[in-house]
Amino acid sequence: MPRSPFSGGLSGGLLFGFAQRDPPLAPLAQAGYYPKAVFVKMFKKIVKALSSLKFTIVLISLLGATFIVGLWVPQARLVKDIYLQWHRNSPRLVEALDAFGLTTIYSSPLTLTLWGLFFLNLALVLWQRVPVVRHRIAISDAKITDPERTPGYPFQACFPLPEGLGAETLLARLRKRRYRVLGNGTGFYGVQNRLAPVAFVLFHVSFYLVLLGGMITVYTEFIGYVDLAQGENFQGELARYNVKPALQLPAIGSPPRVSFTVSSIEPQVVMNTPTSIAVKLLDGQGESHEVGINRPYKTGPTSFVFKHLGMAPHFVLKDPAGKELDNALVKLDVLRRAPDKFDMGGYNFTATFYPDYVLEKGKNATRSMEFNNPTFFIVAERDGKKVGEALVPKNATFEFAGNRLEMPELRYWVRFYVISQRGLPILYLGFAVACLAVIWRMIFYKREVLGAVREREGVPTLVVACRSEYYKNLAEDEFNKLFTKITAA
Amino acid sequence: MAFWEIVFFWAGLLIYSLACGGFIYSFVFNNPRVMPKMTLLVALGFLAVTSAIVARFYATGHLPWSGHYEYTLMGGWFIIGGTLFVGWQNKTLQGLAVGTLPLVVIMMGYGYMQDPGLTPMAASLKTVWLYIHVYFAWLSFGGYSLAMAAGVVFLLRSKSDALPVPNPAYDRFPSTGRLNELIFRYVVFGFITDTIMICAGAIWAKDLWGSYWAWDPVETWSLICWLVYGLTIHLRVTFGWRDKRLAWLAVVALSTVIISFFGVNLVVNSSLHAFQVR
Repeated sequence: MPRSPFSGGLSGGLLFGFAQRDPPLAPLAQAGYYPKAVFVKMFKKIVKALSSLKFTIVLISLLGATFIVGLWVPQARLVKDIYLQWHRNSPRLVEALDAFGLTTIYSSPLTLTLWGLFFLNLALVLWQRVPVVRHRIAISDAKITDPERTPGYPFQACFPLPEGLGAETLLARLRKRRYRVLGNGTGFYGVQNRLAPVAFVLFHVSFYLVLLGGMITVYTEFIGYVDLAQGENFQGELARYNVKPALQLPAIGSPPRVSFTVSSIEPQVVMNTPTSIAVKLLDGQGESHEVGINRPYKTGPTSFVFKHLGMAPHFVLKDPAGKELDNALVKLDVLRRAPDKFDMGGYNFTATFYPDYVLEKGKNATRSMEFNNPTFFIVAERDGKKVGEALVPKNATFEFAGNRLEMPELRYWVRFYVISQRGLPILYLGFAVACLAVIWRMIFYKREVLGAVREREGVPTLVVACRSEYYKNLAEDEFNKLFTKITAA
Repeated sequence: MAFWEIVFFWAGLLIYSLACGGFIYSFVFNNPRVMPKMTLLVALGFLAVTSAIVARFYATGHLPWSGHYEYTLMGGWFIIGGTLFVGWQNKTLQGLAVGTLPLVVIMMGYGYMQDPGLTPMAASLKTVWLYIHVYFAWLSFGGYSLAMAAGVVFLLRSKSDALPVPNPAYDRFPSTGRLNELIFRYVVFGFITDTIMICAGAIWAKDLWGSYWAWDPVETWSLICWLVYGLTIHLRVTFGWRDKRLAWLAVVALSTVIISFFGVNLVVNSSLHAFQVR
């Protein structure tokens, strides 16, 4: 292996443009150069340490350990409810962990430093390995050496050639098996998958593509949640995004510009399993789009991802004289089997929803989560006092304190997770390059053959010496099979 | 569970258990003659489990890709399929089942104790990415399991070879040198398919959850698992870790795979990989 530009006495030659052995420090100190020499020596030492493969192993282990810590310690942003409950139970412990960044570990300074060092190490390793890779893929007649004397080729064998099988036919057969062959019968060198070491560079470069894509994504990211009922129009107004979770505006770029109307929402539940949801949108150009689980609405770099379904009854509140007091499409989050509240005309209402209502042992219940008999149980209150309660199926009326609450229509509403990111194509390119490079490097690895046709006891014989990357014993079988085949009559 | 699924599932589990006992017997009592018969038994069990999968597919209309029971059913199928495949390619590797069979028997038993009920395909799973992601996940589990099995056999054989009279049961296996390279080969296979699995999962997650990476517990463990096997490859290629060190690494590293597949959801209920629509 060629020397690393960062190792040994000539270290720094390639990096700093001088190729002389480092002078001893003492005379330099006398000449007044001591600080600079020390600095250079220290710098080289640091670079050497940072570029070592041992350091790579340490960094990967530390990153792995950090991720494990992140799984044990509830993370403030990922499992907010658990974190807040934990904070209430053990405030001192949580505050101490907060101070060390352990509750936001994936973006903590410690983890970011580790990632920084990881990519620095990767860059330095690549810098060192590129000349090695170039050397490994180089091919010239100098590679043709004596198969019986060249060291480093563990598989050595002789194959008697049948009568009439010339060296040229032999080499042609080798070429047919994807070997690049130099030389002739008196001595040849063959190599299969010569460029395999390039895949090493590509695989590691793919990490930078993922990093670049990820960073662009982070800085251009817009995240918001918006609840839209059937029939509602959305023009991308920031004020209409939900207050909680808070809107995340991009550091670079502007919020997404969109325009559409939710024309229909059709959920489907079979045996208590949500099997599909079809949300139809009509965009500003009059084009229809269907959104579902796994099928977000994509417009430019923005995706509207279906997150949650709720009920949106249309309520009309009338006074005893039949005069309309209030009229609204109320978005109720009642499909989690918990009641939701809403206010109308000075009354406070609590609504519990039964998608497939049934009276079971005198109690309100639902047969399933299928929308076979959608019914609300509504309790009306004023100033904290109950003034009425009733079961309200679709098109029914709830009478309380002389007033009437009518439900002429029952619609659905959906919560969209709106996310806009601009680095995804680069990120996906990184994924593709990583997959292709790892396949190339690990499956199509390099095999090398040195050979010559020589007379052995009066019989023309193929003398070969071979080697393969990664494998020795298993490669023997492969080479045996190869040469048995190509030396057959 | 469908009727014929129950019949074939139990038949498969019973046959696997018998074969597992047979393999252990041949090692403990130095009786290598039993081994080929046990391989036939494993093939029979594999057919039974395949029939159970077909029966479930017929009953639900989709391949068993979700939930613990289906994970273990399909995962066991891939691992034993891989074991039989390498044994069919190279007869000296038939005994790798001594490592993979106990793992599959325990997995299937665990899966059955979860919820094996017939359920329709959840909306979140209706995508082509499910097949790509889960298929490569099982291929990688299969590859890593075979590496573990080769590691176990390597360690047993090395111990036996050091004895004055080595156990003849190991004569049916490849040499320790070959076993050592096989460990690496299976790790490489697992690593490639693992890489594809993670990339496919990230692309799917973008459409399903809106984010390609969310530090979900299962995602994070998959990354840890990938890093551990990446480390294994670096240690073998760059630092020349071979023989016992590599074998132990292959055995121990499998724990990260088992944790990502089964362990995380046991201790954490916040994972999106429970495949609920949230």
